[in-house]
Amino acid sequence: MLITRVLCSRTPNADGFWKRRRVFKLTAHYYGRKRNCYSIAIRYLHRALVYVRKSRKLKKRDAVELWQQRISAGCRELGSSYEALVRGMARCQIALDRKTLANLAIWEPRTFKSLTHIAAAKLQREPIKGLNDFSPPPAGVITRGML
Amino acid sequence: MSNKHLFLPSGFIRTPLQNGLGRYIPQLQRITLKFCKNHGGSRGVRDFIETDLMEFAKTNPGTVVYLKPRRHRYPCMVAEYLNGEREYLSCHEFSRAEIQKWLSYMCTRSGIPVMRFRKYQHTDYPSIQGVWNPFTHQAPEINVAQFPHEILSKPVNNGPTATDQLIEIFKKTQIKDPVKPEH
Repeated sequence: MLITRVLCSRTPNADGFWKRRRVFKLTAHYYGRKRNCYSIAIRYLHRALVYVRKSRKLKKRDAVELWQQRISAGCRELGSSYEALVRGMARCQIALDRKTLANLAIWEPRTFKSLTHIAAAKLQREPIKGLNDFSPPPAGVITRGML
Repeated sequence: MSNKHLFLPSGFIRTPLQNGLGRYIPQLQRITLKFCKNHGGSRGVRDFIETDLMEFAKTNPGTVVYLKPRRHRYPCMVAEYLNGEREYLSCHEFSRAEIQKWLSYMCTRSGIPVMRFRKYQHTDYPSIQGVWNPFTHQAPEINVAQFPHEILSKPVNNGPTATDQLIEIFKKTQIKDPVKPEH
């Protein structure tokens, strides 16, 4: 019996269905042939996964930028500036991060106002060159130097 | 994994009826264990039933346990929750310890479907002082102010203007005692 052909034959890929299923589960929300045809879908899926990987850092960066914008807007409404708030708070050793400050500005506006006053009072006492604030010192703030 | 997955929806974390705020109510309503009395794949389930099931039933008095011995079927467990969700799990070739762990997982779950959480905190009352609105930091006097107003119509003092600064610089450059030329 000629067994060469039998020995040299290769079994078909048993995992084919499941391999494609893994891809189609991730491309189910695509449009047209991109979701149904493997060789087309796999190309778009690879790009999508690359974007997912890259955007993990970008998401954090975007979030920080958004918080900074919101804090700046909140400060400017109260006659201060983002730089004044941050530098004044650093000198008072108040270590609140930008996420918390943004949340305070939205949900706890009076606390945020108090923080701007504290920072402004500190900068009145220890002015920073280049950071000019000509508004009168905020009332109701008691600093260490006063006592 | 992208976040726009159809098979892993995203949502915010929640509990049914603020469970745990007062009394904690286990959300598992009933658990059905289906197994075969002979087949080898059900050995783990059979061992679990013989040894640990009574203890499980005593520790979870709010959960009803149903046993369904079915010939020539693979073992499985179906958990039904108080909000109507069903969770199916195949227990084929599981060991006794594995079944115990999966059962405890089913017990501690609420019926809310598995999802990607967008935030790991939730609160019904995010603000105590009141949410910011454009009138939060405004003085209430503007409600009854008649414009043009003495104070409110004037610009806010933002320090010396450019003109003022130039005048200051000019004055500094002036000589106070000019030398008179000798004739």
